[in-house]
Amino acid sequence: MKTLTPEDITAIGLSLKVAITATTLALPFGFAVAWLMVFKTFRGKVVLEVLINLPLTLPPVVIGYFLLLLLGKNGWLGQLLSASGIPIIFTWKAAVIASAVVGFPLLVRSIRLGMESIDQQLIQASRSLGASWHDSLVTIVLPLSLRGILSGSSLMFARSLGEFGATIIVAGNIPGITQTIPLAIYDYASSPSSTAMALSLCLVSVVISVVVLFLHEMLGKQFDRSKGL
Amino acid sequence: MKPVKQTTMKLSFGSAIMRSLIICTALFSMSVPVLAGELNLSVAASLKEVINELTTSFTAKHPGTVFLKNFSGSGVLAGQIENGAPADIFISANTEWVDYLKGKKLVDGESQLTFAYNSLVFAGTTSKKVSSINDLSKLDKIAIGSPKSVPAGDYAMTAMTRAGIAAKMANKLIMAKDVRECLMYAELGEVDGAFVYKTDALQAKKAKVLFVVPQELYPRVVYPAVLTIKGSQNDEAKAFHAYLQGNEAKSVLNKFGFALK
Repeated sequence: MKTLTPEDITAIGLSLKVAITATTLALPFGFAVAWLMVFKTFRGKVVLEVLINLPLTLPPVVIGYFLLLLLGKNGWLGQLLSASGIPIIFTWKAAVIASAVVGFPLLVRSIRLGMESIDQQLIQASRSLGASWHDSLVTIVLPLSLRGILSGSSLMFARSLGEFGATIIVAGNIPGITQTIPLAIYDYASSPSSTAMALSLCLVSVVISVVVLFLHEMLGKQFDRSKGL
Repeated sequence: MKPVKQTTMKLSFGSAIMRSLIICTALFSMSVPVLAGELNLSVAASLKEVINELTTSFTAKHPGTVFLKNFSGSGVLAGQIENGAPADIFISANTEWVDYLKGKKLVDGESQLTFAYNSLVFAGTTSKKVSSINDLSKLDKIAIGSPKSVPAGDYAMTAMTRAGIAAKMANKLIMAKDVRECLMYAELGEVDGAFVYKTDALQAKKAKVLFVVPQELYPRVVYPAVLTIKGSQNDEAKAFHAYLQGNEAKSVLNKFGFALK
């Protein structure tokens, strides 16, 4: 076991920053999509369902490669962004996008579960008492799916911390700029002489994951109690 | 009524687990057949095409030999061998990892031979005029292998340091996980150019070699081949190790752009 180098500390900070940003950015979209899937019927719902869950089953390398082609110099989105002066590829923003795409299905799934457990009659009652759809969304659906939102966010956060395959392609492995914990561990583990360093970072990674999952469980429990279940 | 139902359910669940365990065991034992002429190779990723061609021509002459090939970064391979991965022959992209395994008494140092040489080039699709290492400061983005784990990246850093441009380049470097990823970035035009081996650049379709890195700027790229302790007791391994020094091996290496001296 060895002490962490300044680069490792940066990697830890960057991992947290990327995971927090990805989760925060994805949250409103995740909520909106979950709401669509639970309360609306429309054509092409199955297609949307498949599209949303695709990152769960696709190899992350494939996602990384698609993102590189889409956001790169020759991709249509990349051209649009570089015209407006926002470089994405090989910056920490690329790592955020990679994490957001890979973690999104987990977020949506958890929020959906939360929403599906809401008693439909509550919503109907609120509507019949004159509440508009956005009123009942904010006063009934949002608070009652809070648990799903919390557990989805913590799951997505944990998944983002572990993102490797897509990130290494679309963000590169640049120490201090885009090197997150998994990429730093990969670097160390690729040379047997620095296995001790790899292990130190692995330990950090384990500690963070355990804390996040522990919080995830605690929040769930506390929520149960406050609802009197 | 209810408890009885539950026990039968548990029973059938238990037997289902047993059954799947048996199936799994059967599958695993089938997928690893024990063959007499089995030969495990651990080979640096940049030699993939060469070794694939050589093993094919070797099996044509020695039909009993079955090759199990493991291609990866040299450091990764050394780590695997250290942790007990089956390997009879190790071909590394630098001497560092062979020396490392020698220190652990895992390879037979006497069997070490230099299989091939390679050289470092700068390849890219940029329209700017780049003809020497000093022109690199004109470019915006350059891909190199991550110096900690990729020897080619390490050589590239050494070359830039010796040329005195390392400080100017620091913010322009994109670190990739291996040489092939560097080349992919260059091919897609995401970087202006990349430091890659000459043999990799020859496989590129769009990226062109812009200049060859002068040899005095970085240590010679050698590929040592060595028998492991386990391999030194295996006749097939010794035969293939000898084959690597033969004329056929030389012509294949030539074909893929490796140097022999």
